[in-house]
Amino acid sequence: MTISAERETEVVYPDPTPPSSGWFQGLPARPGWLSQHIGTAAIGAVLGYLLGHWLGNVIASGYDYVANSGVTSIANTGGIALGALGWLVGIGALNYPLAKIIGKEPAPEFETTSWTKYFRYTADHKVVGMQYVIGVLLFLFTGGLLAMAIRTELLTPTSHVFGPGTYIAIVSEHGTIMMMMATSVVVGPLGNWLVPLMIGARRTAFPRVEAFSFWVFSAGYLVILTALPYGGFPTGWTGYAPLQTQAGGGMISYLAGFALIGTGMMAAGFNLAVTIVNYRAPGMTWSRVPIFVWSILATCALLTLATPTLFAAGLFGILDHTAQTAFYVTEHGGSSYLWQNLFWFFGHPEVYIMALPGFGIVAEILPVFTRKPLFAYKVAAAGMVGVALLSFFVWQHHLFQSGINPDMRPLFMLTTELISIPTGFIFLVGMGTLYKAKIRFEVPMLFALALFFNFLIGGVTGVFLSDVPVNVTVHGGFFVLSHFHYTIMGGLIFAFFGGLYFWLPKMTGKSMNKRLGQIHFWMMFVFFNLTFFPMFLIGLLGQPRRVFEYQQNLQALNTFSSISAFILGSSFLVFVANFVWSIFIKPTPSPANPWDSLGLEWQTASPVPYYNFERIPVVLTDPYHYSEDGAPAVADLGETVLVGVAAPAAADGPPDTGLVQHETSPE
Amino acid sequence: MSDTAPRPDDAPVAAADGEPRHFARMIAIWLMLSLILDPLFYFLVGPHVPPGTMTSTAEENQFDFNILIVIALPVLIAVWVYLGYSIVMWRAPKSGVADPVGGETARTHLGVQAAWIAITSVIVLFLAGFGTFELISTNGAGGGEGPNPIWTPTAAHILPIQVIGQQWAFTYRYPTFGGFETKQLMVPVDTTIAFHVTSLDVIHSFWAYQLSIKADANPQVDNVAFTTTNHTGSVTVRCSELCGLWHGAMFNYGQVISKQAFENWATATEKANASNTKLLPPFAWTYVPDANGADGGYYNDTVVPYSPSEVYGAKQPAS
Amino acid sequence: MTDTTSIPKRATVYSDTPEEREFELRAAVSSYWTGGRLFIGMFAFLLASEAFAYFYLRSSNNGQLWRPNNITAPTGIGWAIEFTVVASALIALFGQVRLRRGNVLDWEVAGWTAVLGGLVATGLQVWQLTKLPFFPGASGYASCFIGWAVMNILMLLGGTYWMETTLARSLRMGGASGVDGPDQLAMTSSGQIFRANVSACTYFWGFMAVGSTLFWVMFYLI
Repeated sequence: MTISAERETEVVYPDPTPPSSGWFQGLPARPGWLSQHIGTAAIGAVLGYLLGHWLGNVIASGYDYVANSGVTSIANTGGIALGALGWLVGIGALNYPLAKIIGKEPAPEFETTSWTKYFRYTADHKVVGMQYVIGVLLFLFTGGLLAMAIRTELLTPTSHVFGPGTYIAIVSEHGTIMMMMATSVVVGPLGNWLVPLMIGARRTAFPRVEAFSFWVFSAGYLVILTALPYGGFPTGWTGYAPLQTQAGGGMISYLAGFALIGTGMMAAGFNLAVTIVNYRAPGMTWSRVPIFVWSILATCALLTLATPTLFAAGLFGILDHTAQTAFYVTEHGGSSYLWQNLFWFFGHPEVYIMALPGFGIVAEILPVFTRKPLFAYKVAAAGMVGVALLSFFVWQHHLFQSGINPDMRPLFMLTTELISIPTGFIFLVGMGTLYKAKIRFEVPMLFALALFFNFLIGGVTGVFLSDVPVNVTVHGGFFVLSHFHYTIMGGLIFAFFGGLYFWLPKMTGKSMNKRLGQIHFWMMFVFFNLTFFPMFLIGLLGQPRRVFEYQQNLQALNTFSSISAFILGSSFLVFVANFVWSIFIKPTPSPANPWDSLGLEWQTASPVPYYNFERIPVVLTDPYHYSEDGAPAVADLGETVLVGVAAPAAADGPPDTGLVQHETSPE
Repeated sequence: MSDTAPRPDDAPVAAADGEPRHFARMIAIWLMLSLILDPLFYFLVGPHVPPGTMTSTAEENQFDFNILIVIALPVLIAVWVYLGYSIVMWRAPKSGVADPVGGETARTHLGVQAAWIAITSVIVLFLAGFGTFELISTNGAGGGEGPNPIWTPTAAHILPIQVIGQQWAFTYRYPTFGGFETKQLMVPVDTTIAFHVTSLDVIHSFWAYQLSIKADANPQVDNVAFTTTNHTGSVTVRCSELCGLWHGAMFNYGQVISKQAFENWATATEKANASNTKLLPPFAWTYVPDANGADGGYYNDTVVPYSPSEVYGAKQPAS
Repeated sequence: MTDTTSIPKRATVYSDTPEEREFELRAAVSSYWTGGRLFIGMFAFLLASEAFAYFYLRSSNNGQLWRPNNITAPTGIGWAIEFTVVASALIALFGQVRLRRGNVLDWEVAGWTAVLGGLVATGLQVWQLTKLPFFPGASGYASCFIGWAVMNILMLLGGTYWMETTLARSLRMGGASGVDGPDQLAMTSSGQIFRANVSACTYFWGFMAVGSTLFWVMFYLI
């Protein structure tokens, strides 16, 4: 089936009144290259940057000691701030907020099946979700290329591919880009796309806030890239002052970029949290909410409450660079510890922002491919909430050797080890679900199982790090580096790809190639472990992080790790090939419910209509009644059919309502 | 859905006769592997685990690491055995999906859940208690305790050595020998040492690998870490906190030498360096950059002047 | 699994039932409730970060440079800002009470007064920044004060914008919007959503008053 044939499923949306003309709202929302899209956003960004840079220089020229110092912080800040603003104005993010000042209602949303909608500011959470898919993949691959550069430098202990300045810029960019990407890698694409469908909602609570979150996120991506032409920044992703205060132009890109990404995180978390609380379909009690939604809710709590601290920390840093305040300047009454505390008060919840959604994904995937109910659902949900709460009380374990608060160390050691209890619940859930299952080894299931392997290593080594005496050896070395790659990449990124293989058929309506998926998985799994496991040893043997020179005797391990990393990197090419081939070049239509899942998100037409559900479903039970005799249907989908294992209508062949219950058999 | 529909008369029958005792098998495999691997690790690998046994803290930290491994290995093995067993034993048949257990009993199991929570809690609480004990009994385990250390060694004689980090080198001052400064770390054996780590510019981290000392070097902070040397040898010092351009090249070496050799070396160096020492800022716990001096000079932090008599008495400013 | 015929190829038209409209309405109204509180929570963490910086630098007093000579930002302007914000918030709260009782005009007058108050407070805050007796990097206090001033401007502009948009919407909707009459009588869906928005906005103003009072105490009194 070709792409054009797909468009037979043209959907007529409610009352598409033509756009009015005029300022603000009148900017045409109808597709057309004269309206607002990513191109106008780019133009806005460039114009805004130039204007802001000029304005910054004008302001700075008023102060002699700034104007003659060669410091460009003010001009850079102005450029980046107005550049980001121009990007938002260009895409149309501010049309409605400005129209609101004169009391206007939102312009009607024009939905179209045209592909151009993916390049616009749109209120459709599914379009935003797909934009995020491409956005985070771009982010991930950019960071991945930088990782390849790092591993190239570390092939040998002494000879240098890059100069130390370039190398430190690459390391810092890699870390920052990956951390920024990982904050949104699941919440953005899968959270936005799936959560409304999973809770039976036709929309999200604040769709424009959601779209705003993506376009701010993408602005943050562009801003962090601007650090490179400024010469990069030398601080790594942690941005410790006074190195931060000492650093040049690229530092502003880091601070402003994190503030922008933080704004996007807050917006995304805000919208999804409110949606989950208020838009759950009738009958979807808290004990029937899919576990993925629980994980997103816990994540959103962290996104909305922890990120303001990052924003404040970034603001203080920018003020230090521009207004010449002294927040982080110890000799002027500030404190470099202030940054460490603020940063890690955000930074540790952030780490769980990068873990919980992954747990949610695998907990969704496991029941489908084991044909068993999810084991210990309530424990899993409680665990996620518990992790979210506890994560606010562990931040000083990053500062065990920093020289502050030695008396608090036993306490933070205790809280850090306590958090492994609720984190460990995901293993209880996974192992319980696997018990006497009938496992189908489809690609998503492989990724889900890999999470248990990887995250176990990541989690157990985390306990090592939390132990203060052992921390003396492993802190700041490759051991901790390996640990968080095992949790974030081995956990979250594996879960993310599992989730993509699992849900992309629903999101795009096309099947992913299974064979390429398997190749991708095995390459990624094997070489991920071969890349990062040696790093535990490298770290124990005394190699600090972010170095370009290391002891001669560590070369064998480092080179081994580097070569594995190159193959790991190329495994993503397989994914890209699979994605492009299966979605664009030779699309194979996917069934509406290819994995035979009971989840509510699968029980609607494919492609999912703009308004998600024909009727707002009435949820009758939780979606995990696999293999249960006489289990109730998951939801009453209105005039269509009762869908569920025991739904009698299912056996009677596809009803003509479009919600089709198809026969499945595993291959 | 027909071939996946539950066949209620099927599952119980299988469970009644043909069902192997999965848990017994898994526990047997787990116990066997754990009993083999744990002692194997502890006795074969354990003594070689970094950071070795050169100092008291190194020894304790190595012991701590080994205990953690001995506890972690059975946990890892338990999960891996379970996963492996599941993957091997509970695959879907090639044709059609047979019926696994479903229903309420597959959703929750109070005993299993309670046991899980109990076991993980016990392990975790034990580890926290053990870690705290090790931390306190080793006087901070070699980690930087800040300017006002709360776990201090009881040894009668403590040798203070100041570690100064700057972009991109570590230097060492010996206040009990007139405050001379060297580029090489020299430490006497069988001595309790207090490392006073500070920085002149950005945050560094003093990592004396074999001594098992790690303390961040913060500007204007006197970060103290203790250890007691056990035997002689050479020491690698690296910076383990990103400190800018040449962070990767910020390392040097040191020696743990006999007491007599140290005494000789120190007095000789003190004499040889006397003219240089005069040019240095007077010894102080911390140094503040001279904001007014164009020569980039440093003056000592006048807040707390160094007095060898009150070694750790006066409270110093906690940044 | 390979049954591709099962892809629905069918144009459906969006429709909703009265029950669904009711559901959407309730969800929208309670979204404003939840969202308003969550927004306050976000700002609370933002202000808490500032307060943390304040107390952290105050207690560490590095180089005796927390606040040399107990110098403060211009107190007169500080009092004026504090008074304006608290008075505006009280007026906004009063307007909200009047709106609940059904007096739209009172609410509109109160609201516009609060908007004016917000703008005046923002202006005062900006003006105060030009009148500081210290260099921004002179002390810990000076830095924290600049940080607070920037946050305060952000917060005041946010609250004023929010209040202004509700008032503008109210003017544009006119009587048809259902804003006339007590809450119980505002039966139109847009009226109910509108009221939820006003209520959330007023709560935010209350939060602003509390927040700026706390920081006023911190910066001028203690």
